[in-house]
Amino acid sequence: MNIEIEELAKEFGTTRALHPVSLSIPSGALVALLGPSGSGKTTLLRILGGLEFPTSGRVLFGGQDATGLSVQKRRAGFVFQSYALFRHMTVFENIAYGLRARPRKERPTEAEIGRRVNRLLDLIQLPDIGARYPNQLSGGQRQRVALARALAIEPRMLLLDEPFGALDAKVRKELRQGLREIHDRTGLSTVFVTHDQEEAMELADLVVVMSMGRIEQVGKPAEIRANPATDFVRTFTAA
Amino acid sequence: MRAGLLRSPSPLPGFGLSFGIMMTMLSIVVLLPIAALLGRGLMIGPADLWGMINARRIWSALTLSFRAALIASLFNLVFGLLLAWVLVRYRFWGRRFIDAAVDLPFALPTAVAGIALTALYAPNGVFGQALAPLGFKVAYTELGIWVALVFVGLPFVVRTVQPVIEELEPEVEEVSATLGARRACTLRRVVLPTLAPALLTGFALALARSVGEYGSVIFIAGNIPNLTEIAPLLIVIRLEEYNYDAAAAIGIAMLVISFAMLLAINLIQIWSRRRIGLV
Amino acid sequence: MSDIALSRPVPVTTEPPFARYALIGLAVVFVALFLFAPLVTVFAEALAEGWRGVVAALSLPDAQAAIRMTLTIAAIAVPLNAVFGLAAAWAIAKFDFRGKAFLITLIDLPFSVSPVVAGLMLVLLFGANSLLGAWLIANDMRIVFAFPGILLATLFVTFPFVARELIPVMIEQGRAEEEAALTLGASGWRTFFTVTLPNIRWALLYGVLLCNARAMGEFGAVAVVSGKIRGQTATMPTMVEMFYNEYLSVAAFTLAAVLAMLALLTLLLKSLLEWRHADLLAATRRH
Repeated sequence: MNIEIEELAKEFGTTRALHPVSLSIPSGALVALLGPSGSGKTTLLRILGGLEFPTSGRVLFGGQDATGLSVQKRRAGFVFQSYALFRHMTVFENIAYGLRARPRKERPTEAEIGRRVNRLLDLIQLPDIGARYPNQLSGGQRQRVALARALAIEPRMLLLDEPFGALDAKVRKELRQGLREIHDRTGLSTVFVTHDQEEAMELADLVVVMSMGRIEQVGKPAEIRANPATDFVRTFTAA
Repeated sequence: MRAGLLRSPSPLPGFGLSFGIMMTMLSIVVLLPIAALLGRGLMIGPADLWGMINARRIWSALTLSFRAALIASLFNLVFGLLLAWVLVRYRFWGRRFIDAAVDLPFALPTAVAGIALTALYAPNGVFGQALAPLGFKVAYTELGIWVALVFVGLPFVVRTVQPVIEELEPEVEEVSATLGARRACTLRRVVLPTLAPALLTGFALALARSVGEYGSVIFIAGNIPNLTEIAPLLIVIRLEEYNYDAAAAIGIAMLVISFAMLLAINLIQIWSRRRIGLV
Repeated sequence: MSDIALSRPVPVTTEPPFARYALIGLAVVFVALFLFAPLVTVFAEALAEGWRGVVAALSLPDAQAAIRMTLTIAAIAVPLNAVFGLAAAWAIAKFDFRGKAFLITLIDLPFSVSPVVAGLMLVLLFGANSLLGAWLIANDMRIVFAFPGILLATLFVTFPFVARELIPVMIEQGRAEEEAALTLGASGWRTFFTVTLPNIRWALLYGVLLCNARAMGEFGAVAVVSGKIRGQTATMPTMVEMFYNEYLSVAAFTLAAVLAMLALLTLLLKSLLEWRHADLLAATRRH
């Protein structure tokens, strides 16, 4: 599904987190929001996910206005930097949560829920951990479970906030590849936030460089490297 | 002593002195008196002990103490959770005032609470007069005992649950919403289970305190044998009759109940720490 | 723009406004009925016959003796508990020894023992019909129905207060600062007074405050041990009971009002400490 962002702005009290920004995300793209902390990238992601509401501007999903759509109805798979796994539930219960939270008439049968959860566990290549609790998992495993949980609701898009931020360098490299593969298999429009330019350049089809609540440049990794639009982009991507 | 007790040597001085002061005071103030009670029980012997406890009046008193404590603590479980949630999550005028007031039952002497509640709920008191037409008689009935124990146990649930609510990560509730759960579903399936260990701990603490409560209850209870006579009062009565063995028997029964609850609290905490890494 | 404002959903991590107001309302009503009403009653009943009744009650010799008794007991019990709390926290937080968890459970024990049972224990230990008690009485040392018994009963029920506040704070602070002071050549006592004590002073004050409130207010344990001899072993709370049972309502509630004011003072100081030094008490509140 393609995502259109039109003149989106966000103020927290008197501080402007986001100046009016516009962005077009083609269907099925893997997009990185790249910038230092305070650049507004997480705010933009949270607005897409329905966790914050813009002061002005519009968001369109597949051509339809989704600006005021409640977070529950948005069906945007969201992965937090801390993963926010439910500690009192097993991995299986975590992944099944979104399916069980549906209203009764839309809820799949228990057998169907079991099938779907197992398919997702296969997808993240952790077929045998359904019965474990989150605190029995490694950081990398937790991240993949959070991803599977977001995918379980058959989301219209995938939104990830610093998905590799809490991992050490080696695991990070492996999981980048994992995200790329899952993206390619599901074909979901995917937006992830990162402050690591190498990660953005290596993984994304499209990189959106942000600074101080503004979009500095949008382009393919090679374009941004070859022709940085501003001094900020030049210094931030030169590493 | 130093070398024998310490697991690893420490460069800090004062272990012998501080350990000595601690053990001396602990022995005189706590251990010796408990040993005196248990020793008395041994001298009486289990058969006679049981014979003394196994009387209708004592059973009535013990079950009353336990039942009233259970009911009051369940009540406090609900309202304690409500208060803790409101105090942490909402901002409203007077919030800090109410937050401070929650500790009133800790600070106010129980005898003061007892006579105040009695004056309020007595047939000629403000609440007593208001409740009489509705058919409720609170003072000098078991209902009065519940009210007194609600007062006494109120802070326990609030104060154990409050810090846990403060430390809930907002992301966990947000992620539940992004997965399509409505607010009520998030509260029931995500927030409540996370608070469950703290709720249980607070409940058990309130229960332990309420079972042994004396000062706030005796004024409002009416103290009719077999009906509104609580177990601690029966101990006092036996002591005033110089019937030390009977008093000791009831005291041991209550001590056993307290220890069982203390054990339960510790097991809850070990269980929750092991499973979800929460206290 | 305006249509966005109109269709704007409620924030994700809170309840809808009507639910919020209903919950706040319920909480306020609950606190008003169960906490404030009894408190107000104490003062209202004390003033039932005007200020003259209050003054008359406070000038009763029995009331004055009870006030003196309570203040004396607190003045002795609280410092003793503070010393115990400091010693226990130092030993438990700064050293690693066997049986520590069990020891902490023992220190917490008085919290789960009924005050009346605590009093009973002391009567069984020191009363006339025990070996120790008989010997003590033969040597002219009365403990039960006398001052030492009341003191011991008060110590028992307040025993964990200071230690409980100090142990988590001192564990969290570790021992690096003390070790640094020692390497700089400070003596053990100097290290304690110049490094440890300043670090824990607010937690200590907090514990002392709670300990003092309980020491002045204890009823059950003291009632059993003191024998409630007016003018001699009656404390304020036990005197409240005696006045009340003699239908001297104004006298009972006047003494109760004095205790209630002490409780309010305790709450005020405690709240001030929590707002001012929340960070230093953080370990305590988390347990």
